[in-house]
Amino acid sequence: MAVSPLAPQSFQSRASEEVADREITEQMNDEVRHKYIKAKKLGEGTYAVVYLGHIRTDPTSFVAIKKIKVNTEYRDGLSMDAIREVKYLQELSHPNVIALHDVFSSKDQNLNLVLEYLPRGDLEMLIKDSDIHYGAADVKAWMGMLTRGIWFCHENFVLHRDIKPNNLLIASDGEVKLADFGLARSFADPYSNMTHQVITRWYRPPELLYGARQYSGAVDIWSVGMVFAELLLRVPFVAGNSDLDQITKICEAFGTPTEENWPGVSKLPNFIPADNNHTVPTQGREFFLRQFPTAGSVGADLLMSMCSLDPRKRSTAYQALQHSWWTAEPRPTNKEYLPRKSGGTRKMGDDLTRRGGELDDQFKNAARQLDFGSMKG
Amino acid sequence: MIEDDFYRTSSQFRLWSFTEESLRTVRQKTNSLASDRVRIALRRAREARQSANSSAAGTPNPNGSDADSKAGEEKDIECLTSEEEQDLVRYYCEQIIQLGESYKPPMPSIVRATAIQYLRRFYLTNSPMTYHPKTIMPCALFIATKTDNYYMSLRQFADGVPGDTTAEDIIAPEFLVMQSLRFTFDVRHPFRGLEGGIMELNAISQGLGEPAPHLPNQSAEDLRRAILSLPPPLNTPSPPSISDRLARAHHNTREILKSAAQMTDAYFLYTPSQIWLSALSLADAPLAQFYLDTKLPNPTESEHPLAQLRAKLLQTLSSCATLLQSYKPLGSDPEQKKAMRRIGKKLYHCQNPEKVNLAGQKRIPAAAAAAIASAAGNPSDTPTPDSEMERLAKKRKLEAEQQKAGNDIFGGDLVMERTRDRQA
Amino acid sequence: MPPSREALVNRGDEDEVCPVCKSSRYLNPDMRFLINPECYHKMCESCVDRIFSGGPANCPVAGCHKTLRKNRFRKQTFEDIHVEREVDIRRRVMTVLNRREEEFDSKLDWDNFLEQREEIIFNLVNRIDVAKTEADLQSYASENMRSIRANQALEAKEVSSFQERQNHEQELARLRRQAAKEEYENERKELLAGRENYLNNLAQGRAGDAAAIAQKVMLKKSSARRSEEERIRQKQAALRGTDAQKPAYPGAVTAEEGGSGLIKGLKKIKTPEPEKPYDPFGGMVPNKRDYYTLRDHYPSSYLDPIRQDTRMLAGGYDLQEYYSRTMLEAFAGLGCFIDEEVPKRQASSFNVMKPVATQGAALAAGSGSGSI
Repeated sequence: MAVSPLAPQSFQSRASEEVADREITEQMNDEVRHKYIKAKKLGEGTYAVVYLGHIRTDPTSFVAIKKIKVNTEYRDGLSMDAIREVKYLQELSHPNVIALHDVFSSKDQNLNLVLEYLPRGDLEMLIKDSDIHYGAADVKAWMGMLTRGIWFCHENFVLHRDIKPNNLLIASDGEVKLADFGLARSFADPYSNMTHQVITRWYRPPELLYGARQYSGAVDIWSVGMVFAELLLRVPFVAGNSDLDQITKICEAFGTPTEENWPGVSKLPNFIPADNNHTVPTQGREFFLRQFPTAGSVGADLLMSMCSLDPRKRSTAYQALQHSWWTAEPRPTNKEYLPRKSGGTRKMGDDLTRRGGELDDQFKNAARQLDFGSMKG
Repeated sequence: MIEDDFYRTSSQFRLWSFTEESLRTVRQKTNSLASDRVRIALRRAREARQSANSSAAGTPNPNGSDADSKAGEEKDIECLTSEEEQDLVRYYCEQIIQLGESYKPPMPSIVRATAIQYLRRFYLTNSPMTYHPKTIMPCALFIATKTDNYYMSLRQFADGVPGDTTAEDIIAPEFLVMQSLRFTFDVRHPFRGLEGGIMELNAISQGLGEPAPHLPNQSAEDLRRAILSLPPPLNTPSPPSISDRLARAHHNTREILKSAAQMTDAYFLYTPSQIWLSALSLADAPLAQFYLDTKLPNPTESEHPLAQLRAKLLQTLSSCATLLQSYKPLGSDPEQKKAMRRIGKKLYHCQNPEKVNLAGQKRIPAAAAAAIASAAGNPSDTPTPDSEMERLAKKRKLEAEQQKAGNDIFGGDLVMERTRDRQA
Repeated sequence: MPPSREALVNRGDEDEVCPVCKSSRYLNPDMRFLINPECYHKMCESCVDRIFSGGPANCPVAGCHKTLRKNRFRKQTFEDIHVEREVDIRRRVMTVLNRREEEFDSKLDWDNFLEQREEIIFNLVNRIDVAKTEADLQSYASENMRSIRANQALEAKEVSSFQERQNHEQELARLRRQAAKEEYENERKELLAGRENYLNNLAQGRAGDAAAIAQKVMLKKSSARRSEEERIRQKQAALRGTDAQKPAYPGAVTAEEGGSGLIKGLKKIKTPEPEKPYDPFGGMVPNKRDYYTLRDHYPSSYLDPIRQDTRMLAGGYDLQEYYSRTMLEAFAGLGCFIDEEVPKRQASSFNVMKPVATQGAALAAGSGSGSI
């Protein structure tokens, strides 16, 4: 990426006076910084400010510059969200993952991420806008891009851990891009623990609600399934107002987890045994067909495979992409013809300034606290 | 090869891989720039002192002899060579291993290895004369705990650092280090690859080997028979069983990866797969040879298009193995220890005085800033200021106060302070 | 002695006997014979009713074991059953091999195709190489389903649009006539007006201007005519345009030209870009590896306990993910030779990985004031 690494000639490009005064690393940083021009502010949140910018030499190539604020409460240096986001985006390069073009620091030691400019908002916007009509072919196109993005992350052993409609941004050509890697991490090695306090509640799988500390890519697949359901219904499918409520609603919707349908579930740290008088049998294919008629029977089958309570029975991203739904009729809409909405620019500003795991304003109280202390194993 | 493309997208390959020559060029550039600046800075410091003295006294400096001796000293300022810098950095890389070991429980070796690579990357473009490794080293380790999912609080971490190093001292250079790392935090290590290789060798030894995609004629049974009939590793007694042999090779390779692979330029010059296979060949040459044979046809006996790759690989692996073998731990080498003391002494004289007080100059920890603000009778108003300009103005004000406070607390020039302490 | 000509003609009448029930037309003048294109064995209507009303059944003709359905029975069109069969075969082959001349690169290719089609029909009619021919036809049909359908649709459209086209032609002719008439009218009007104008100018102006005035009038007239001609031409082009769209060949269709390669010489499609089948993996090849073949399980005293740990399993922890990661990391980059690749990378203009970065390389010592 960027300028050739530490190429000797790049050190000589400045006047000798200046060279004598600037560290090499500062010079390199300046070089990156000077590549871009910050234009107007797109949004500001607790975590970051996002600007529209462009390449100095080409005012028509837009970028989004996400400036991460020095966290005033966090005494331990750069926050984990920022570190994770930078760490993983530096490694991942795929059409369905937001591109990180550069990183530089500005004068006051703020971190600036130069990101791909995605002016057409996010999936949440489209779902919520009742003026926008979309159909099965559109849903299939969006889901295809989302599933591919997640598959690529998992192929590179990265868990996203915060899939939800407003983290799925839309490029000017209609391509869906996974954004916000603030909760991402690479797959855990055997016997090491991960935190279960990840993924925004409505999209959080039952194993995390039950406090599992060893899990897999299946957690992201559950979220993908929830986004799928939400695209079809145009409202969140299981929207609990507390973690407990969330698990209750999941049980009501998909069935009560038991040792039979999910071996070992009762051993999970925060497992809550079901009330024997009130158990819901595991939902079968008919349920999904009835709930999600738009998807058709093949689509309902794919959705069901993503919503399996037992994470081991859930399809992997790879299996999901092998499903026959993608090649069944109707063919996914070409990305250029997908329904679009204006006002996406400001939305990108909002999306990128949110902290991981937060819902939008009206759900502020749902924001999770990262449980770092317990991450050590 | 498809697997290779996975590596080519990594930041380690894109930004942190060098030829021997380009590595040397970068280091020499860094060294000569730092040397120039040390000389300039020392002169500036001397001039400042003289003018302060002369204005204070109003007359020419009565202790002229002192000034003369200083001038003479400056002329003779001998800066570290690039090689000396590397030795010094390596010494502090070993210190990272020690420091990581001292925590309870000890830090995972992968975290320590990441920190070591951070330190090595940092000193490609920074000189120990500018930033003393003693101050950068704990910071690199702390950053590694954050990036490698081994999180502990700064307080907890600082408690484990010996001496009177405070949490603020540790975190002060964080941004500087991250900037020098060009904000790439992912380090690709050879450890997990070694696990994979041993895992597959175990499977082969139990008759569960799978043919390699380009050598479809292999059979599990042939592979098993072949691994069982390998000649024993050089200079070691024949191991009692294949599983013992694999366990021993595993252990010895891992030791090389934890030490020699970290302390040499291996990560800059080779890929993780090449590193672990070279290390394996040092631990058990016939085994490494065999494993490669199962993957790529032997160049001597095949017209296979992959034979060429194999030939090239052989060369690369052997030069990597030579590099790994060249490493001698400092602790076991009195010559090196002596050299290190000499370098330390030399550095003491050519340390850039303008960069010493990192905590004061480079970073205001938010908490400290707030404390100073309130101490200055300024009600702590950290909430987000309205505009960028206002924020900057506020920040500058804080910095000024911080500077003042710093001066008040520590009583002036820290370098001089330290110099006096040392001399005492 | 061969039967007389008369006898041949009459054979279809009186002495015709149903080969199944042996009743003859002589006894039953209303008797109708039906055939089934499955085997072309003739039988009378009452036999068909009797045998096949209960569902599919075997052909009652001895030695023929074809299963026949009642709804496929029909009246014979041609007297000669062989002709009947050939026509059926021809129709069937032609609906599959319905390429059109414009799909071929050259006249020769088109002729070859026609010959090939005849040969296929001939083989099927004469029961030569039937199995292979049928299989070829079948695989061609499934591989080229889309273009077959498109060509059928095209044919149907052409038939139905024949009338339409004639209407268009008439309309065009009418427009042409009208345009000519209008033009004549205009010309005449202008001529009159021009003459008036000319006379006026002459009356008012000086004598020397006369020639200039006359010329100006001429210019004006011809430019008016030119713009009128232009208008008509545009209109006609527009009409041609809408007309042309219909028979225009939908280029994407031949794209799937099948792997069986039954037909040679089809045009390669350049535009518009053919719609490839949707690839859920977006062009990446999943799970392909060059150095190793991943197993489902690797015996390991360190890892195997996880396979029994219900809590870890219940959380979804997947050893397969670990296997695939360690194996990939064991070989990722084994064939990257830094000493060769890195110098090349630095020589070739900086970076190809990320689109924005390349452009930035040009700025280098940009004199920019820090606007960030």
